[in-house]
Amino acid sequence: MEIDLSPLVENWRYLARGLWMTLTLSFWTMVAATILGTAVALGRIYGPRWFRPILTFYVDSTRSIPVLVVLVWTFFAFPVAFGITLPPYWAALIALTLHITAYIAEIVRAGLTSIRPGQTRAALALGMSRLQLIRVVLLPQAFVRVLPPFGSQLAITVKNSAIASVIAVPEYLHSTATLAAQTYRPIELYTTALILFFVIIFPITRTVDSVYRRLAHLGRS
Amino acid sequence: MNLDWTVIWDHRGAFVAGVVNTVLLTVLTMLVSIPGGIAVMLLRVSRWRVLRAIGLAYVEFFRNIPLILLVYWVFYVLPVMVEVFLPPFATGLLALSLIISAYNAETFRAGVNSIRQGQVDAALALGMSYAQVMRIVVLPQAVRRVLPIFASTWVSLFKDTSLVSVIAVDELAYSALQVRAQTFRILEVLTAMAVIYWCLGYPQAKLVDWLHRKFGVQE
Repeated sequence: MEIDLSPLVENWRYLARGLWMTLTLSFWTMVAATILGTAVALGRIYGPRWFRPILTFYVDSTRSIPVLVVLVWTFFAFPVAFGITLPPYWAALIALTLHITAYIAEIVRAGLTSIRPGQTRAALALGMSRLQLIRVVLLPQAFVRVLPPFGSQLAITVKNSAIASVIAVPEYLHSTATLAAQTYRPIELYTTALILFFVIIFPITRTVDSVYRRLAHLGRS
Repeated sequence: MNLDWTVIWDHRGAFVAGVVNTVLLTVLTMLVSIPGGIAVMLLRVSRWRVLRAIGLAYVEFFRNIPLILLVYWVFYVLPVMVEVFLPPFATGLLALSLIISAYNAETFRAGVNSIRQGQVDAALALGMSYAQVMRIVVLPQAVRRVLPIFASTWVSLFKDTSLVSVIAVDELAYSALQVRAQTFRILEVLTAMAVIYWCLGYPQAKLVDWLHRKFGVQE
């Protein structure tokens, strides 16, 4: 077995575009999921009583359906159902966000409920409105407390972004698979992909944990 | 848009076979990954530094790569490197087991570590042998602590089996995508696939919640 890295060197621009796509897809998924997930968490705790079971049902359903199924459904079945064709990137962004949002919602909800009820009572007694209570007292503490699981979720999001290759989003795994089929060099290409993904994902949880250690005192009460 | 749900019933054989293979793959992976996880955990807590480093490297590597990429790697690269050619099902089983073993190792280690050293010392002081300490004092408590996390891993594994469809392992996702390709009833078939996964996964997710409530450790 001889190793030939020339397909990697010759196509580095193509692979770099794939890598950029992996990073942007993960980033925007995480941004959208953090905003929506926080909204879902707040909805589950403070929302109208009739609305809460719907959100609970959404979160529990997401936990029981594979992300691949959500991706494939969004890309292939959604256009048939609603007559709107989604480009692969948007289908992947929507499907991944739909999936990750549920997990973020659970993380944020755990953070919010971990803050002692005495603080809520104190804030209300000081004359704060419900909105002020959430914005000034609860959310800032909750966000600090949930940093470690948030970091794990970020790592999971990068891993899940690779699944978008099945609907032909030109992210890194898809670029690797395409090149491997063209150049007959699967060993070099897939091994490089494995190392590259490890190099991206491994530092994420470490970095977030070390940031958390600096900020942990802000979430303590 | 006219929907034709009869295609689902007409291809029920493919869906049933898919469900059977998904469940089989989940169960077999776990059966391999429990001893696998224990083995890696023993490396992690070994007396020799080299073995500890190997255990740590194994756990960190397999927990920080996408499963779908490992599936491709085991499918395309491993056979060429070691010159052993496995059928797709065994390839999928191997890829899943490698990753789940890493997760199990950390779960088991956390479980054993969560039992205070004082308990071991006390049991030893009472004249128990080390094997007795493990069997009577540490393991029964560790199992209860491990159970909720282990159950979460189980549900993730159940969902992750769908990813081996990319190497044509005949599980539920692959069967459904095949039916879709044959019938072109995209919406019906993919919705049926999602509903079947939901029916199988939802009770499991609820069971995990119950296990967390019953056995979860409150800090």
